[in-house]
Amino acid sequence: MALTGRAALLAALGSIPVGLLEPSWTGMLAVNGSIALACAVDCALAAPVRGLLLARSGDTSVRLGEPADVHLTVTNPGNRKLRARIRDAWPPSSWLPGTEAAASRHEVVVPAGERRRLTTRLLPTRRGDRRADRVTIRSYGPMGLWARQGSQVSPWTVRVLPPFASRKHLPSRLARLRELDGRTSVLTRGEGTEFDSLRDYVPGDDTRSIDWRATARQNKVAVRTWRPERDRHILICLDTGRTSAGRVGDAPRLDSAMDAALLLAALATRAGDRVDLLVHDRRPRAQVQGRSAADTLPSFVNAMAPLEPELVETDARTLVSTILRSAPRRSLVVLLTSLDAAPIEEGLLPLLPRLTQRHTVLLASVADPHVATMTGARGTVEAVYEAAAGTQTQSQRRRTSEQLTRHGVHVVDATPDTLAPALADAYLALKAAGRL
Amino acid sequence: MTGPTNPAPPAAISTPPAPDARESAGNATADTPDTPGPRTRRLRRIRRALAVVAVLATGVIATAVLHSGTRHGHLDPRSADPSGSRAVVELLKERGVTTRVVTTAREAADAAGPRTTLLVTDPDRLGPTQRDVIRSAIDLSGGRTVLLAAGSHSLPDLSPGVHTEGDADTARPDPGCTLPAATSAGRADTGGGHRYATALPGAVRCYPSGGHPTLLVLPTGPAGGDTVLLGSETILLNESLADEGNASLALQLLGSRPDLVWYLPSLADSDPGTGDSGEDRSLLELVPAGWSWALLQLFVAAALAALWRARRLGPLVTEKLPVAIRASEATEGRARLYRKADARDRAATVLRAATRERLAALVGVPHTQAHDPVALLPAVSARLLGEPRDVTALLFGPIPSDDAALVALADHLDALEREVRTS
Repeated sequence: MALTGRAALLAALGSIPVGLLEPSWTGMLAVNGSIALACAVDCALAAPVRGLLLARSGDTSVRLGEPADVHLTVTNPGNRKLRARIRDAWPPSSWLPGTEAAASRHEVVVPAGERRRLTTRLLPTRRGDRRADRVTIRSYGPMGLWARQGSQVSPWTVRVLPPFASRKHLPSRLARLRELDGRTSVLTRGEGTEFDSLRDYVPGDDTRSIDWRATARQNKVAVRTWRPERDRHILICLDTGRTSAGRVGDAPRLDSAMDAALLLAALATRAGDRVDLLVHDRRPRAQVQGRSAADTLPSFVNAMAPLEPELVETDARTLVSTILRSAPRRSLVVLLTSLDAAPIEEGLLPLLPRLTQRHTVLLASVADPHVATMTGARGTVEAVYEAAAGTQTQSQRRRTSEQLTRHGVHVVDATPDTLAPALADAYLALKAAGRL
Repeated sequence: MTGPTNPAPPAAISTPPAPDARESAGNATADTPDTPGPRTRRLRRIRRALAVVAVLATGVIATAVLHSGTRHGHLDPRSADPSGSRAVVELLKERGVTTRVVTTAREAADAAGPRTTLLVTDPDRLGPTQRDVIRSAIDLSGGRTVLLAAGSHSLPDLSPGVHTEGDADTARPDPGCTLPAATSAGRADTGGGHRYATALPGAVRCYPSGGHPTLLVLPTGPAGGDTVLLGSETILLNESLADEGNASLALQLLGSRPDLVWYLPSLADSDPGTGDSGEDRSLLELVPAGWSWALLQLFVAAALAALWRARRLGPLVTEKLPVAIRASEATEGRARLYRKADARDRAATVLRAATRERLAALVGVPHTQAHDPVALLPAVSARLLGEPRDVTALLFGPIPSDDAALVALADHLDALEREVRTS
C-alpha cells in the first residue's frame, strides 16, 4: 500500500472548500471522506502485484568498466491494466555512485494479458559477482491516488570480470615472440632450445651456426635454425593474503597482479605453453588446471572474478606443497606476491630450495609509485623524513629481492601499470634463453 | 631470419626497473592537477556559495534603495536629509535648548513637564491608548505641546474642540495675528497642510489660509500650558528651514521652554501601561475563524505528504565492502615516527646510504664496496667538476645537529648526485 503525491495535493486543495464553504468538522469529514473513498476505489482498480510474472535475460558477465544490460520481462496475466513504477534493485556497487536511482527505476504500463521488457543497465564499479536483489513494483490505480506495492525475487547474477587492461601490450609481445621463432640462436642455445630446420646461409647470419656437415652434403652453405621450446608448463600462483589487500592508486595489489597474470597467460598460450592457475592464501582459493589453449584465458578470468583479498597471513608451507603437487614436472612457477621483508624472509625463503631444485621460479611484486614519490620529497623536515622512510622501504625491497636472486629466483618488481609488460618481458627473456 | 639478435640476459630480469618506476610516478603526479580533486571541488563549492551571497546582498541593497524613498528619516532630528530636521535642532542647541528624542508615548509622557516643549511629529499615527497617554501629558504637564499636522483622526482626542476645515493652499500666508512669534517671524510655510477651526475661548488664530488659520495656539490644562497646532510640518524640514520666516517661527515655537521632547511615533511603540489591547494576540487568533479549519485541513495534507514521501520503493540493498588499506601506509607511518622521535640519525644514515649506492653505480664502484670510503671517495672526487672538494663529510659525516641541517643534507646529497650524473 502506498499513497501518492496526488492524494496529498488533493487534500491540500481541499482546504479551500473547507475554509470557504464549510468551516466545521462536517466540511473536514466531507472533504477527507471523499478523498478516502477515491483512494479506496483507486486501490481496488489497481492491478495486483502478486500475480505478476517476472523473467530475466541478458548479460551474465561483463568486463569491469563496461556496461551490462539485464532485461526484466514483466507479464501481466490479470485482467486489469498495470501502471507501475518498478525498482530493479542491485547491490550499490553495480552502478557509479549517484546514478543508482535513475538506473534502477522504470515506469511501465502493461495492458492486461500482455508483457513488457525493461532493461536495467549496470555499470559495475568493482570486480566480482553481482546478484540481483528483489524487484519492487508499485502498481498505481487509474486516478493515481493510491498504489499497491510489493516485491518479488527474480534471481540473476552478473559476473564482473577483471578488466584485463594490459591486453593492449599483447600485440607487441606477440611480435617479440614471433621474432624468437626460427631464429639462429647458437649463442643462447640452452638445453630446452629445439633444432628446427636447415636453411641457406644469408649474409649477416652468425657464422657459428653454419652446419658444416650439411654444407658438405650440398654445394651451398647451410645454417641450422632453432625454435623456442614449446609445450612447457607454467604455473601462475596468485597470493590473496593480507599483503594483496593494500591499495596502490585506486585498486588493490591483487587487481594489478591479476592483470599481469592474464597478460602472461595470454602470451604463453600463444607461445604454445600450458598455463595453470593457483590462487592461495591460507588454503587454495581457486585452481585452473589442464585447460586447452583456447579455454585457458576465459577460465582464468572466470576464476579470478569473485576473488577478494583475505586479511590473513599467507601460509607459505601449504602454498609450496600445493605448488609441488600441482606441478610434478619441471615448470616455470610465477609467484605473484609481495616483496615485503617479513613474509618473504620468514615464510617463503626457507622453503625456496624445495621449489628451485625442480622448477624455475619467477617472483613478481607490485611496487607502490607513492613510495617513489615520497623518496623524492624535499624542502621541509617532514618531507625529508618522508624521503628517508620511502628510501628505507625501497632499500628493504631491494635487499629482499637480492636475497631471492641469490636463491636463483627471478624477481620482477614494478608499479601497477608497468608490472604486466615487465612480467611478459621476463617470460620472453626466459623463453629466449631456453630456461623454461 | 637475418642477424642474430642478442636476447636480453636473464640477469636483467632480477633488477627492479627502478627508473621506470620513478618515471611513472612523475607522470602520475603531473596528471593530478587535471583531474578534479577534492581541493578544486571545494574551491568550486566556495565560489558558488560566494556567488549566492553576492546575489543576496545585491538584492537586499536594491530593495533597500528602492524602498528608501524621500520619506526616509522624515522629521528625524538626527537626519541631515532634505526631509530631516537636524538643522532646527542644531539651531535650538545654539540657543541652549536641549533636545531629547523619544519613540514611545509612555516615554514622551514621562519626559513632559512645565519646562518642556513636547513635539508630536505625527499624531495621526498614534493608537487610541497612545493618544490617551499624550492627552493626559498635555493636560498635566503645564508645558507646551506642539502637534504637527494633526488631522481629524487624532484631533478629537488630543485637542477637543478643534476640527479641521479642509486643506490649506501652498501659498505662504501672512501672520495675521498678534502672536509675538508670528509677528516677528513674518511670512512662513504653514500652508499646504490642514486648516483648523475652533470656538474655544483664548485661542490665537494665525496664518489664515482662505479664512481659516493654519496655526492655532490654545491654552490648555490647569497648570498653564498651551497647545500649538501647526497645519503643516514644512517649517521644520531641513530643505525649507531657510525660507522666509520658517526658522524664526520654528525656533520661537519650539524654543519657548529649555527642554524639547521630540516624539517620533514608531512601530515598536506598544502600550506598556494598558496591558493587552489587541497587539499581543497569537497567530491563531489573528486567522479568521473559517480559515483555522482550512489550516487544519492543510495539516492533514501535510501528514499525507509525509506518508507519501516516507514510503520507500523497496528496502535498501546491503553489500560487503572491500578492505581499503593503502599499501604505502606503513611507509607513511614510519615517516611520522621518524618525525616524532626526531630520528635525524636514522634519516641521515638512510639517505646517505641510498646516495652512496647510486653514486657507486654511477662511478663504477662495485656494489659491495659502496659503503667503503676508501673505494668510493676517490672515484666520486674524480668525477666532480671545478676545484677538488672533500665530500667525505657529506657522504660519511656526522649526524646533522638540527632539522635545518637535515634538510640541507638532503639537498646537498641531491646536488652531488646530479653533479656526478651530468659530469
